[in-house]
Amino acid sequence: MIEVKKVVKQYDSVLAVDKISFTANSGEIFGLIGPNGAGKTTTIRMIMNIIAPDSGQILIDGHPMRESDKARIGYLPEERGLYKKMKVGELLAFLSEIKGGDRKACAERADKWLTRFGIYDWKERKVDELSKGMAQKVQFIGTVAHDPQVLLFDEPFSGLDPLSQDLLLQAFLDLKRQGKTILFSTHIMDHAEKICERILLINKSREVISGSLAEVKSRHGTPAVRIEYDGNAGFVAKLPFVKSVREFPRALEVELASVDDTDSLYSALAGKLKVRRFELLEPSLHSIFIRLVGTDKEGSTNA
Amino acid sequence: MRKLLAITKREFRAAAANKTFIIMTILGPFLILAITILPGLLSSNPSVMGGGKPLAVTTQQPVVQAALEQAFGQQNIQLVTPASEQEGKDRVVSGDYVGYLSVPAAWPQQGAVYYSSSGTEANMFGTASGVLSAIATRLRIQEAGIPADQIEQLLAEPGFQLIRLGAGMQEEEKSENDFLGLLFTALGFVMLIYMTVLLYGQLIGRSVVQEKTMKTVEIMLSSVSARQLMFGKILGLGLAGILQYAVWVGMAGLVINFFGPALNVSLPAAVSMGNMFWLVLFFLLAFFIYAAGYAALGSAAEDEHHLGQLAWPLLIFLMIPMVLISPMVMNPGSPLVVVLSFFPMTSPIVMLVRLLVSSPAWWELALCIGLLLLTIYGLSVMAAKIFRTGILMTGKRYTFKEILRWAARR
Repeated sequence: MIEVKKVVKQYDSVLAVDKISFTANSGEIFGLIGPNGAGKTTTIRMIMNIIAPDSGQILIDGHPMRESDKARIGYLPEERGLYKKMKVGELLAFLSEIKGGDRKACAERADKWLTRFGIYDWKERKVDELSKGMAQKVQFIGTVAHDPQVLLFDEPFSGLDPLSQDLLLQAFLDLKRQGKTILFSTHIMDHAEKICERILLINKSREVISGSLAEVKSRHGTPAVRIEYDGNAGFVAKLPFVKSVREFPRALEVELASVDDTDSLYSALAGKLKVRRFELLEPSLHSIFIRLVGTDKEGSTNA
Repeated sequence: MRKLLAITKREFRAAAANKTFIIMTILGPFLILAITILPGLLSSNPSVMGGGKPLAVTTQQPVVQAALEQAFGQQNIQLVTPASEQEGKDRVVSGDYVGYLSVPAAWPQQGAVYYSSSGTEANMFGTASGVLSAIATRLRIQEAGIPADQIEQLLAEPGFQLIRLGAGMQEEEKSENDFLGLLFTALGFVMLIYMTVLLYGQLIGRSVVQEKTMKTVEIMLSSVSARQLMFGKILGLGLAGILQYAVWVGMAGLVINFFGPALNVSLPAAVSMGNMFWLVLFFLLAFFIYAAGYAALGSAAEDEHHLGQLAWPLLIFLMIPMVLISPMVMNPGSPLVVVLSFFPMTSPIVMLVRLLVSSPAWWELALCIGLLLLTIYGLSVMAAKIFRTGILMTGKRYTFKEILRWAARR
């Protein structure tokens, strides 16, 4: 369990984290989400005790982090880096060694993960021969091979192709089933939506929303409809009960003031457009994010 | 402890398991030999430098011819007589002769001339001028009408002996050759320590900077403490250094005890196993002082270029004994040398030279080593503090003042 209580961090003139609080429970995947520069990495570094908070408290399983706790934690930093001259197998053994893990068990786990990610054949190759994606997988394995109880991943999906992203999502769910506490940060809402039980959305160093995904959606989501059509749909945006419209080629996503307005919308379209599809959308974390944070930051749609 | 060991092992392998290290370890002694002993050997043995070329000489006096032949014969240099003065000069220019010594018929009333294409082969014209002036002196005394037996008496060289006094007042006879051997040994040892300490210091600095530039530092700090990381690096590279010195001392030991006697070549007497012990000891002390310094600067530097800029004070301290090597050997008891042999940043090298060429008192040695150990401790503590603060700092270049402020923190 990770408890973060009213944590504040100030860099020279920038307030990086402003009174952030949350709890990530055992056997739960917790998503720390927010745009670039929101303070996610700083928060995670403070949890890892790599930088110290100016005020507030961080507890790992009920007590402040001690040097000996490091063995029970796996950490994948945002800044990926591996010793380039080492062989993959040697490097993984070294990373487990400095965590104080059991040699044989760690080596077996590392082999299992290498096989699972399809890079077992690279075990005897040097790190600098790996592609960026492979190096990331190796780094992920280095984070989990000593079987830590608490896992922190800072932007784990960045730089991975969709196939590898899926592999990683599956890996997260497996680790959760084993009862690990998993905290990860991302600015890609689709990932958070797929695997998180609870989230904390931060923007400009402050908490925006927090809670279980279902709660967040019911509280902050607005009803929306996706229409695929032929014809000129310019009038839709001017309808009184329509809050906003996102236009796609020959499709619209229409946000409504209330769920009751779907019927009115349907009637309003009748006869004016050739509607091929009319679908009620569940509010996506993406739309909530964009509405609450305001601007669509670069990278937030490249899922 | 297991973590520290793992880091030490990794750093040792990173430093020692590569071709550069192996080549340096094997070729190191030869390199040192080449840059310290060879120039001396070559300039005192001109036939090697001259490439076996003869020296052209024209003289009408058999005495001069005979004396020159004898003097240059000792240096394995052949004398030839060119057909004419012009040919002598031409073949100096074309490179057939090392030089051309023209002694006119009217010599010594008229001076001799040495023609050279470079004017720098001091040993050649030095020998020539020495031989000529000795003969000239003898001739002039003869012309003054002094009897032959009296001339011998006048020109007899007085005896001269060089004796080195040890601490226990035991007398040890030295020849001029021993002095040269000592000078070259001191030079060799100093170069060895200077080069290895510089090399390992920079390796440590780079290794620390690379934790930042290769972004491995966060992973390391999520597993070990900053102090474990720094000490692991220093110990790992220190082990590599010890291995290197062990190989070198072993090689010297083999030459002294087996190959030397068998092949009838000998190292200078000063390359003794006793002096080797001091060499290794002072290397280690110098290594740890500079390792701590470079680790501190490495953690404050943004990248390797910046490290180079920050490292100048360390470089200057390392350079001082290098620059002073010759005065130190000539005059090991001077107050400046004594002070430098206690000042921890220069003392490992300076005290080693003092040990080689003179006999410092035991308390001087104890004081020097004690001060070194104290400084190593203090510097490591300071370096660990700078390391803790600096290792995560990126994206900004810090000045010396800021870095020292980190060190002064609690």
